[in-house]
Amino acid sequence: MSPTMVLYVAQAIHGLAYGMLLFLIASGLTLIFGMMGILNIAHASFAMLAAYFCFTALKLTGNFWLALVIGPIVAGICGVVAERFLLRPVHKQGHLAELLLTVGMMALILEIVKFFWGTESLVVKIPESLSGLLNLSGLIYPVYRLFIIGLSLLILAFMALILFKTRLGMIVRAAVSDPDMVSALGINTPFVFMLVFGIGIWLAGMAGAVAGPLLTVFPGMADLLGMDAFVVVVVGGFGSLGGAFIVALFLGELNAYGIQFIPRLAPVLMFTFMALVLAFKPMGLFGERE
Amino acid sequence: MSKWSNWIKWAVIALIAIVFPRVFSLYYTNLFLAFAIFSLYAVTVNLLLGYMGVLSFGHAMFFGTGAYATAIALSRIPGFPLLPSILIGGVAGGLLAVILSPLLVRVSGTAFAMLTLAFGQLIFVLALKFREVTGGEDGVGGYTVPPLHIPGIISINMTNQINFYYFAMAVVVVCLLILWFYTKTPFGSLIVGVRDNALRMDYLGFNLPQTKAINLIVSGAFAGIAGSLNALLLKLVSTVGILDIGTSFTPIMMAYIGGVGSFVGPIVGSAVIHFLETMAIRFTERIGLINGAIFILVVLFAPQGLVGLFNTAKEKWFQKKEKA
Repeated sequence: MSPTMVLYVAQAIHGLAYGMLLFLIASGLTLIFGMMGILNIAHASFAMLAAYFCFTALKLTGNFWLALVIGPIVAGICGVVAERFLLRPVHKQGHLAELLLTVGMMALILEIVKFFWGTESLVVKIPESLSGLLNLSGLIYPVYRLFIIGLSLLILAFMALILFKTRLGMIVRAAVSDPDMVSALGINTPFVFMLVFGIGIWLAGMAGAVAGPLLTVFPGMADLLGMDAFVVVVVGGFGSLGGAFIVALFLGELNAYGIQFIPRLAPVLMFTFMALVLAFKPMGLFGERE
Repeated sequence: MSKWSNWIKWAVIALIAIVFPRVFSLYYTNLFLAFAIFSLYAVTVNLLLGYMGVLSFGHAMFFGTGAYATAIALSRIPGFPLLPSILIGGVAGGLLAVILSPLLVRVSGTAFAMLTLAFGQLIFVLALKFREVTGGEDGVGGYTVPPLHIPGIISINMTNQINFYYFAMAVVVVCLLILWFYTKTPFGSLIVGVRDNALRMDYLGFNLPQTKAINLIVSGAFAGIAGSLNALLLKLVSTVGILDIGTSFTPIMMAYIGGVGSFVGPIVGSAVIHFLETMAIRFTERIGLINGAIFILVVLFAPQGLVGLFNTAKEKWFQKKEKA
């Protein structure tokens, strides 16, 4: 391959890796929104929390793979607790109160993280099997980014399997389109909500944990990942998983090539794209309801 | 409540505001002024949150645009007078609202919150990137507050902190009074009507998008004035504390803690948060932890805010007296 070609392909894979990370966060966000009508502002904060848990677990056990499993699960448990004891009591007050509560949760998580781990960037060391470079016919590429893509695809396939092939997935899909009817059919919807909230946080936690070695772990992580994930959910359409997938990949590429060609305006591009979409389709590209 | 006690209440508040800089040090005077400025800012957020029932997650864009407009005008144009420098902040905030209103009036609920959040971030990123105009992360600074100069009548030196305190206080009070009367006009009632039953208002023949847009512009313009005053107080405008997402969340917290159901709620909330911050800063640096915890507790247990809590308590108290 020619050097320019190599550059283009490298940017494309960069974009793909970032897009997959975005989708992991956005998928939980859009599922939670579809089921409960809550836009979880604290979603990316939980992803950041998972990254910190992963860092600590790595320090205690010394095993990266174990840390990668533990971090997101602990964050997911935190999410379940938050849903049960904070969000559920507010549910009857309406969506605005729930939205505001997640804002409070975001502020709280940020302060907790600063309190326990400090404000400096923490470096997560990846094992040697992932830290090498791979030669793809002239293109030398870090293995870790390819690992991110592979892991995301694996999780994606697993989630799709659960969502479309199991009874639980059927209930979740039904609850996304009409929670009241599902509840009337005798299914314990509050429990399903809690479960989906936990799984959504776990998905975001996976993204946070694998992003840790890439971005380093720092308190601004939530803002960095969160804003992009929100753009994905809004543009893709609230509650639409397919929309979130397409838009996440598109934004990942937009970001990667934007940095290459117009570095100064790369962050602006994304929001401009969002404003344009919303100007013509207020419900997002694939959304069916507000 | 009788008319007399009402007058006494206002007289006491006015007296506190007048005497404050004579009693307390400059540090507390500036803190009091910051409280007043954020009260105005929180009230403009409440114009949308409490009166129109939509949550603006990016209100810092109006606040910040006002602040930047004032700072840039003062640092670029020599001899720029005081009153126009505040006016230009309000105009800039209002203008931004005019530009965004065609998009914002079409949506409500969560979509409105998301859209304002997105535009807030867009303005934030733009301010960071266009460093020729905004100074990027360094911000705009190095300007002085011009004197209040009305030809033939008066000229007051505003670099004197106490003079500036009285001037800024007067601007805040005038703005709050204007907003209070604005909510009491028939148009103000129309906005509440839109919140409670938009469909009915539509069928009654009112122009919904126009009503929402006007309220948005009023809110944006006065948030711009608050930002402009903040720029004059701090004498430095950078994205942190002016345009960032935290600056959008603070007034929401204030409005919600004080109570979104009333006009004075956000002012009470602003007072509570500023008071707590002043107290807490002696013991801990974790102010966000305290604010966040209080905010969550209020959302959980007192959805009507402190003012709502006070009113409920008062009702119960008087009921008991009647029974006895």
